[in-house]
Amino acid sequence: MTGRAAAGGQRGAAAPALLAALASLAAAAPAHAGAEQNYILYCRGCHGADAEGVAGKIPPLAGALARFMRAPEGRNYVLRVPGAANSALTDAQLAGVLNWLAERYPAADAPQVAPFTVEEVTRIRHTPLADVLATRREVVRALAASGAAPAAQY
Amino acid sequence: MRVPHALSALLPCLLLTAGAAAATPPPLPAEHLTVEQLPAQTPHWVYIYDDAFANEIDARIYLFDGDSFRRLGQIGAGFDPAYNLSPDGATTVVATTYFARGSRGTRTDVVEFTDNRTLSVSGEIVLPPKRAQTSPSLFLVAYSSDAHFLYVSYVTPEASFGVLDPLHRTVLSEIDTAGCMLVIPSGPNRVSSICESGRLLTVTLDAQGREASRTMSAAFFDPDKDPVFVQGVRTPEGYAFLSFLGEVHAIDFRGAQPVFLPPWSLMSVAEKGHWRPGAEQVWALHRGLGRLYVPMHQGGEGTHKDGGTEIWVFDIASHRRLARWPVQAQGLSRVVAVEVSQDAAPILFATTERADLAVFDALSGHLRHLEKHIAQTPWMLLIP
Amino acid sequence: MMRTLDRLFELSTRSLAQRTSRRSLLASLGQLLTGAALLPLLPIDRSSRANAAEAPPGPESPENCQYWKYCAIDGYLCSCCGGSSTSCPPGTSSSPITWIGTCHNPGDKRDYIVSYNDCCGKTSCGNCECNRNEREKPMYRPSRNNDLNWCMANADANYHCTVSVILGVAEK
Repeated sequence: MTGRAAAGGQRGAAAPALLAALASLAAAAPAHAGAEQNYILYCRGCHGADAEGVAGKIPPLAGALARFMRAPEGRNYVLRVPGAANSALTDAQLAGVLNWLAERYPAADAPQVAPFTVEEVTRIRHTPLADVLATRREVVRALAASGAAPAAQY
Repeated sequence: MRVPHALSALLPCLLLTAGAAAATPPPLPAEHLTVEQLPAQTPHWVYIYDDAFANEIDARIYLFDGDSFRRLGQIGAGFDPAYNLSPDGATTVVATTYFARGSRGTRTDVVEFTDNRTLSVSGEIVLPPKRAQTSPSLFLVAYSSDAHFLYVSYVTPEASFGVLDPLHRTVLSEIDTAGCMLVIPSGPNRVSSICESGRLLTVTLDAQGREASRTMSAAFFDPDKDPVFVQGVRTPEGYAFLSFLGEVHAIDFRGAQPVFLPPWSLMSVAEKGHWRPGAEQVWALHRGLGRLYVPMHQGGEGTHKDGGTEIWVFDIASHRRLARWPVQAQGLSRVVAVEVSQDAAPILFATTERADLAVFDALSGHLRHLEKHIAQTPWMLLIP
Repeated sequence: MMRTLDRLFELSTRSLAQRTSRRSLLASLGQLLTGAALLPLLPIDRSSRANAAEAPPGPESPENCQYWKYCAIDGYLCSCCGGSSTSCPPGTSSSPITWIGTCHNPGDKRDYIVSYNDCCGKTSCGNCECNRNEREKPMYRPSRNNDLNWCMANADANYHCTVSVILGVAEK
């Protein structure tokens, strides 16, 4: 099954299925050209087809990412986790994937999060975290104190 | 009483039989069942890793004598193990996994210690069920150079490593490596890991095996254009890593920070990209002679796990190629792993795609012996 | 006689495959079978339906290591283990985590994104060993690595076989 299925449903219904699917991929989010494909190629293997993660092993991104992105300490954390900091994606591509994810999997209690700028990514991502789990716990605690927060356990 | 006729007729036969019996050798004496004792370890012993891929819960290590060409024994190694030798060669350490019911059930990861004088298991340390299950290299379970610590690479797929006390058989700590992989012993109380970005993470430990500090180098190779194989070799200064296109990346770990020596190429401009290193244990180094042995094959992108049709020999100091041994032309199938003994009359061991073990004179390249089907999938060789 | 020779050839190649390292032999054997280097030497009677059924699969078949979707697969083809290229054999579990690559389909000249999940919970299938490595990278780039046991996160992490599932077309 493909991650494109949801996006392709409304467009080009009269066109041959494959062309419609291709068109939908290209048109899905002009600002995030290639972002969905980058998600599939670089993130989906572990984070899952619907960014759901694996209980106890891999954190979910659906909803959780938007909640991290609503506050500076959350944005800082997200850009420095191993999958972001050490990823082969360029700063622009990383911004694109994260922004696509936040838009595709929003959190009702963290609406309208500001997208990452490339400048923000460049400034923050190149200092990877030393203790990811400990940092995540701290950030989630801080976010929970001020509003919407991702689940403490995954 | 007269001897009955039948008996008298029998007597010559008996006499004849008695005469014949004198010519038959006496029966063999009763034998005594013992357990073989290993002879003293020599520099020409090799520990052959067999993942037994078709029966992967039954991986094992074979001990083979490169002088007598005999199998000396076996060490059990569980499911998809990693292994290494203690710096003094006295212990084989195996990091492996057992499932409670063999083919299924609760997973237990352990480090097992085998006494190389007896090939008996001398102890174990139970790990969290996190160890990296993958192709073997030197950097999945590794001793610090002073044998004070033992490191185990964890991939869950989150990356971290365990620091163990091999003497007291305890787990001291787990260190998060933020995605960087492998445990490369990089100095007293230091472990380095290779990151996806091509950078090298180095963690310094305190005396209790907990993290004291960490540093990140600049990228020392380009993981997109020319990644390095994880199967590095130990050098007198540290370790060296070979790239897919044949660039040697040597790292000096003797100082406070890793020093990355300028990379040099194993091949000419014309050869680059056409001849490539590859397979499972991609090269071997004789540290005293400074001699590198590299199985090479012809091929393009995607052939980095193809075995070598030739073994190229280099002088590591001058970078000069000394020889090309045409092993496939000698009748061997492609070479997948090599290791060289470190003595003055060295032997090069090589295993092949057909799971044979070749024993070469490492100076002349003369093939001394071919042991057919040494194992099921012999992907790595270790010599103390 | 012909059937016996056919059977002998099939048995000898299978046992040979099981005795080799995972690299290349079966892949090159697949090429031999499909490249017809050996087959014409065997007196195969193709008029017989039974014999035709025993003929080795060609590269258009998911039981052949050269099948285009397997361009970076490492392990046993689930197609030969009671599953298919898109399904795990009965009684096994698919790995929730995997690595994802791209393969070129010569049939329609497109590049496809392919997911190489493992099927887990039983020991090695042992049939149809296949290892190819197009665009594969070492384990420090796990999202492109086929050496790792992708069953690692399963409750039962025993490795059985590998699938390759199309996720979509790879855009340039």
